[in-house]
Amino acid sequence: MRDRTPHPSPPAPSRRRLLRGTLSLGAAAASAAVLGGCDSTLAQGFTGGAPTASRLNFWNPFTGGDGERLLAMQAAYRSRHRATDLKSATFVWGSPYYTKLTLATLGDRPPQVAISHLSKVPTLAEAGLLTELRPSDLARHGLTEDKFDARPWKKSQLDGKLFAIPLDTHPFVLYFRTDIAEKAGLLDREGKLADVDGPDAFIDALRAAKEVTGAWGGSVASVKDASTQFRLFWSFYRQIGGGDLVADQGKKVVIDTEAAAEALAYIRRLTQEKVVPTTTDGPGAITMLTTGKAGFLMDGVWQVLTVQGSKVKFDMRPLPRIFDDAPYACAADSHSLVFPKAPSASAQRLDLSLGFVASLLGSSKLWAEGGHIPAWLPTQRSREYRELVPQSHYAAAADGAAYDPAAWYGGAGSTMQTVVGDVVTSVFTGATGATAGAARMRSELRELASRPAPL
Amino acid sequence: MATTTAPTEARGRGDRWAGPGMLLPFSLFYLLFLVGPLVYTVVAGFFDTSLLTSGLGDFAGLSNYTAVLSDDEFWRTLRNTLWFTVLTTVPLVLLSLVLAILADRFVRGRWFFRFAFFAPFVLPSAVVALLFTFIYADQVGLAHEVTTWFGVDTPPSWLGDPDWAMISIAAATVWWTLGFNFVLYLAGLQDIPRSVHEAAAIDGAGPWQRIRHVVVPMLGRTTTLVTVLQVVASLKVFDQIYMLTMGGPDGSTRSSLQLIYDTGFVEGRVGYASTVSLLLFVVILLVSLVWFALVRRAEKER
Amino acid sequence: MTATATPPVTDRRAPAAAPRRRKYDAERLFNRVALGALVAFALLWLVPLVWALATSIRPAQEVITDPTSWFTAHPTLAAYEDIFAAGKLPYWYANSFITSVLTTVLTVVAASLAAFALSQTRFRARRAAFVLLLAGIMIPGQVLMIPQFLALQAAGLLNTYWGVVLPQVPNVVAVFVFKQFFDGIPRELIDAARADGASWLRTYRQIVMPLSRPVVSAVTIFVFVGVWNNFLWPLLVVTDPEMMTLPVGLTSVQDVFGVPYAQLMASAVLGAIPLVTVFLLFQRRIVEGIAGTGLK
Repeated sequence: MRDRTPHPSPPAPSRRRLLRGTLSLGAAAASAAVLGGCDSTLAQGFTGGAPTASRLNFWNPFTGGDGERLLAMQAAYRSRHRATDLKSATFVWGSPYYTKLTLATLGDRPPQVAISHLSKVPTLAEAGLLTELRPSDLARHGLTEDKFDARPWKKSQLDGKLFAIPLDTHPFVLYFRTDIAEKAGLLDREGKLADVDGPDAFIDALRAAKEVTGAWGGSVASVKDASTQFRLFWSFYRQIGGGDLVADQGKKVVIDTEAAAEALAYIRRLTQEKVVPTTTDGPGAITMLTTGKAGFLMDGVWQVLTVQGSKVKFDMRPLPRIFDDAPYACAADSHSLVFPKAPSASAQRLDLSLGFVASLLGSSKLWAEGGHIPAWLPTQRSREYRELVPQSHYAAAADGAAYDPAAWYGGAGSTMQTVVGDVVTSVFTGATGATAGAARMRSELRELASRPAPL
Repeated sequence: MATTTAPTEARGRGDRWAGPGMLLPFSLFYLLFLVGPLVYTVVAGFFDTSLLTSGLGDFAGLSNYTAVLSDDEFWRTLRNTLWFTVLTTVPLVLLSLVLAILADRFVRGRWFFRFAFFAPFVLPSAVVALLFTFIYADQVGLAHEVTTWFGVDTPPSWLGDPDWAMISIAAATVWWTLGFNFVLYLAGLQDIPRSVHEAAAIDGAGPWQRIRHVVVPMLGRTTTLVTVLQVVASLKVFDQIYMLTMGGPDGSTRSSLQLIYDTGFVEGRVGYASTVSLLLFVVILLVSLVWFALVRRAEKER
Repeated sequence: MTATATPPVTDRRAPAAAPRRRKYDAERLFNRVALGALVAFALLWLVPLVWALATSIRPAQEVITDPTSWFTAHPTLAAYEDIFAAGKLPYWYANSFITSVLTTVLTVVAASLAAFALSQTRFRARRAAFVLLLAGIMIPGQVLMIPQFLALQAAGLLNTYWGVVLPQVPNVVAVFVFKQFFDGIPRELIDAARADGASWLRTYRQIVMPLSRPVVSAVTIFVFVGVWNNFLWPLLVVTDPEMMTLPVGLTSVQDVFGVPYAQLMASAVLGAIPLVTVFLLFQRRIVEGIAGTGLK
């Protein structure tokens, strides 16, 4: 078939020796890891056995400023519980995190304690993935109802049973550069932002800031960030009195398309009047504020450390009340601590887990510095917290906290956020009209609602 | 293949079972992890099976099939998958063919070309995703830098613009897997006898004519192989999309396999996901069958 | 498959039968253009890797202020130190190594045994078995991830090495490649061994396998690379951060500080090192192995 003399292969032995060397190196590394590590993780890989009893696995989706605060809180726990081997793992936020959590619980190897958004708790609990928490167990560690903010506490329950311990409330808020706002004449005598409530007032304020920055008035993430777009829409939609998007745990669509269209039209106005750029991703939106290309930023409270890190003069306040058809509302969610259902009581390590939760709550001040409004009342009502600036300036937003619609396909990083957020982005960039956007939202939600729930 | 065997009857009864016995270990794996799951997929398609509850769940008749076939998202992900297949297969076949033909002309330095083109292929998809997360990053990425350097004032958000995201992912994929086809073509080129080149050269054919009229036609079989392997691989795309865009923006890069992953594991709707799996399986099967038919015909012609 | 490979020693740059000057010039010009294009593409292909390497040794702060630069005045290994400090990387390397070796060994043994049975022994359902197995080439494993997951869940094998390994063992292509090779082994050799009273198993072990080194190494390479790089399957079965394989760990688990680009690129480099090193050492054999098996 071939008429060429084959190329004589280079001296084989040396190569073979190399191959053998590489392989034995790998084997040595692997066995060193097996023998050297004081834990038996690799052996468990073969046997599927459970880790030692002093081990406490904790999962969370916290990066950036949140991650930094969490490290401090964990350090506080470790310094007081030296016997416990706390292993904390951080996963990519959103649906990958919840998918991992679900698969781990189904696979009988869940972490003892995990962070969950309260918007996801009903779905996880209904799927039987969470351990029900008994008040008597909690009380042993000083965790009683009267010490928690009422809103998130109520949201932690499903049919009167407690499935989560709330840590915070984190609303969608308004950041602004005080220096830019001052030049734009937007500050009152006390240095507070003058009236930005109402559809025109807010746009006027943005326009004034734009004249100072020479670039944009405000910024909000719209590229690769359906969740932020969802929060923007959800806040305005609730202020208009649109009510819920879906009812009956997601089986029925009750979206008020008129209210949705009105909210979308206003969102489009922000870009149409060129006070907000159409294409900015999450980090980009923050950079615009910190580099002075925008005077305002609409984002979650958890960006406060990032903005503080840039050393610019800024302040924060609740998202403006653009519409006053309904009580004040802004998109919000809460982090909570949940105990994924463990295969056995010994694997759950209830008291060890509760002790860890109590310690995290006790460090709520640290958590609050990262922007979140603490659910732990001893901290929320403390003088220290009230003196925390700018964190305390938006604490009032918690009263208007509008959680994501309850549905098995809803919650943080969910299909609903993606689907609705994508429509908002499409209107925001001008690709779709407001009325058409509202109609598309309804049809996409109906499509989601028509699917049989896997619960 | 030898048609006659030399049965040595003297050996014991155990001998009759030697063949099946040696086949057994593989067959067990085969039945447990390929045939069994395939049967399960067919069955689960008729039930409202859930990931979160045990058992098959309620009998659903054909409702999963009607739901999937009338689901815009199913058709959109299939369109996305086909679009990705086109975007990757065409350059991956043509470019690797051209580069292999050119590289075949040089002996010295061939290891360098082989390294440059093939090294990306041994990388895990995760590494490719990490690399291109930075390359395609808005404002700060290499792609942004290069396009502005070429005078484009506002380059698109490579992974954030629905019109560009799939193209960007396809380009990353071309970078990643080109080496495989390149190597297959190089192997194919080795099989062309040197005498063919010499004969053509004596006939006065220049390098370009030789390539067009001699080399490319003789690589026909390799091209069929490369194309079909490429199409089948592209139809199963998941990794790089999952890591780079998660199927966004606005669902513009969501592939069929990701639809299966999302409905099956994120939403837990196993029955529905099984139906999608089976339909995707049929699509891939059809492509493979076309390949077998082509190879058959080519072999008969030889 | 054995017909592929080995670069030629001959040089085609100057075909022996091209005495005419003009033709020679055309040939030379063509070669120059070809070389230029090749080098340009090869360099382009190296850009992402080199850039990753260059970025990974820059200080994080410098990358923020000037993200796209190839050089740094202050090279540092800080990004790598941060990744190692997180502590999980050694586990990921070990897990990837263990699962890849286990899968490769099991696949080579099971597939070669099956191929030997199909190629050399005679039994009633042999042809039917061969057709049935061959049909498996057309079953795309990824499409079956849901029932495979459920089966392992029922068996309690999630988060174990076996969970990663076992479903990857039935590799029909490997059987096919082995069978093609075994079909070429002279019949007399096997008959002679059998006549000496060797059992089939002993014939396989002592006669056939020692002859099959090239095909074993080809299958080893393509199975090993495939398992090492598999992403979707370990993503599903392994959720414990310390049980993850390298590709899954690098992309699922994040540093709490978020992901500075220098660190992102350092992760990429660390993920690339093992196989790129092996590839550099055994370039020719790997390329032949993968080209030879054709399918992947």
